[in-house]
Amino acid sequence: MSWPTSPKTAVTRKASIVLALGAALLLSACSGDSPAEAESSDGSGSTATVTITDNHGEVEVPVNPKTVVALDNTVFETLSEWDIKLAAAPKGVMGSAWPGYTDDTKVADVGNHREPNLETIVAAQPDLIIGGYRFGDYYDEIKKQNPQAAVIEIAPRPDKDAFTELERQTEILGQIFDREDEAKALNDKLDSAIAGAKAAYNGTDSVMTVNTSAGKIGYIAPEVGRSLGPVFPALGWKPALEVDGATDNHQGDDITVEAIADSNPDWIVALDRDAAFAAADREAGSAPATELITKSEALKNVPAVREGHIVVLDPNFYLEEGIQSYTDLFNQLEKAFAA
Amino acid sequence: MLQTTIEPPRQKRRWRALATAILVVCGLLVASLAIGVYDITADDFGAELVWITRVPRTLALVLAGAAIATSGLVMQMLTQNRFVDATTSGTTEWAALGLLLSALLLPDLGLVGKMVVASCFAFAGAMLFMLILSRVVIRSTLVVPLIGIMLGAVVSAATTFLAAQFSLLQMLGTWFMGSFTQVVRGRYEVLWVVAVVTILVFVLADRITVAGLGKDVATSIGVNYQTILVSGTALVAVAAGVTVVVVGFLPLLGLVVPNIVSMVRGDNVRANLPWVALGGIALVTLCDIIGRLIIRPFEVPVSMVLGLVGAVVFIALLFRQQRA
Repeated sequence: MSWPTSPKTAVTRKASIVLALGAALLLSACSGDSPAEAESSDGSGSTATVTITDNHGEVEVPVNPKTVVALDNTVFETLSEWDIKLAAAPKGVMGSAWPGYTDDTKVADVGNHREPNLETIVAAQPDLIIGGYRFGDYYDEIKKQNPQAAVIEIAPRPDKDAFTELERQTEILGQIFDREDEAKALNDKLDSAIAGAKAAYNGTDSVMTVNTSAGKIGYIAPEVGRSLGPVFPALGWKPALEVDGATDNHQGDDITVEAIADSNPDWIVALDRDAAFAAADREAGSAPATELITKSEALKNVPAVREGHIVVLDPNFYLEEGIQSYTDLFNQLEKAFAA
Repeated sequence: MLQTTIEPPRQKRRWRALATAILVVCGLLVASLAIGVYDITADDFGAELVWITRVPRTLALVLAGAAIATSGLVMQMLTQNRFVDATTSGTTEWAALGLLLSALLLPDLGLVGKMVVASCFAFAGAMLFMLILSRVVIRSTLVVPLIGIMLGAVVSAATTFLAAQFSLLQMLGTWFMGSFTQVVRGRYEVLWVVAVVTILVFVLADRITVAGLGKDVATSIGVNYQTILVSGTALVAVAAGVTVVVVGFLPLLGLVVPNIVSMVRGDNVRANLPWVALGGIALVTLCDIIGRLIIRPFEVPVSMVLGLVGAVVFIALLFRQQRA
């Protein structure tokens, strides 16, 4: 780790060491605690650190960092719940889900992940940068450009169970922002939502997950598919269509309505990629997912359509994908499947 | 004397060849109707499904294939260059820009309105291309498609920029990916417009041929060069605009088919036209069948298969050109 080098911070550092020593003396005098432990709880938030293990390894992160830049969409909901101020964020990929960040002119705009303006991060002089996810490709660059900051990536890793990963992420955020209880509450909520959705599923109905965009229906593969794939193993869903060797290159595959009709799903769960746009802004063919599915002549005999067993995800799901969105999704699924 | 004895059998042979070609195309169309994920013989619904998905898809293949291939031929005649079609002249990119703009500015416009806007943009783009060609001293035939491809790149950069600004990038990708996967009853009917285009090309074939000989020759025979140039370009623009809206980009189709036909049969526009139309239908249907089969039950978009096939033929043409 690197210490701040400017004289001003050096002074505060000295002061905090004196304070820490004083506190240590006091503590050791009354309880006999080890001085090392006391040093990390010296009271001044900016110098305390915590070691967390992110997607790349162990990183020393300041507790309650003063200046935070977050680039990973999956953490915004938690950060905004905890009223964490951000110095910069990629407003281009945040839609209208977090007006608290996107409408605030004090939050610098990093742009979108295709053409990010990484200089805005440097200009913010952050203590902590939460990167990864859509910004995963820029990890090395960001790390090099911001030597003073702790750069972490805590987004769910693709080869691990998505939901344990989300809980790990929340736990880390809790440690960094000193909200371990809140983090635990979020994790518990997710766990109980998963349990509820699992209990509501009868274990035999077949499920197909699809995404819709520009009037087209794409197939989301169980387990590996985007957003909805991980729900299959978590809830023990029986896939309506399984393809041998379906890998992640079959994400959102081109699929005909015929193939969906042929797989005869009891349930269709749809991620509407264009849903974030208001109804009036829609392309003519791109009816909202429900309409697209229920109005398709080829699908009229499918049990899911006949029984109205169609679940369409929250419009902002595609942007958020954080622990809260999945908790909401599992609650929504529990309600739908229990009805 | 000799002439009269030889002519009838040759004529007959030609008809026989065309009849064989028609049979082959029909075979492909039957295959296209028969291939699909749902077992249409399994239940009553299967028969209905044929009319919901299979027939519309095959009809769409026929309409788009014939229109794009013949309009490629028209483009090549009008520019007097073998390497020009709607894709290498930037015309499809203009159509795409028009489609995106209409979706952004006039979201309530129906499918037909969008097609009109897209076709107008395609027309403006094609005319701009012609205008640039008439101003540039062309030293090599390859410069012509290069100009078109450059124009197309500039236009599609603008389209991408706009889409990025309005977070429509992913939608854009889905939109313009040439694919017949989602063509079902109720979503292909507007393609009949391009049938009219194809018929008009047949009607205007002779005049387009004459226009292809150049302004001076055309004018001396008494053909209004300007009118033919504009109406020919308009036909190409409508074909490009409509197919872009309904199925997306069909790259190189209009380039490959007319060239193969003229390689085999020589240059005679009127006589080649039915072959070009048939060839367009055959190629797009074949590519679509391949796309449907290789990763069943999923599909590879026809534009991807066409792009591969088209690129190979394009390169082969380039080599031929070098040798000639």
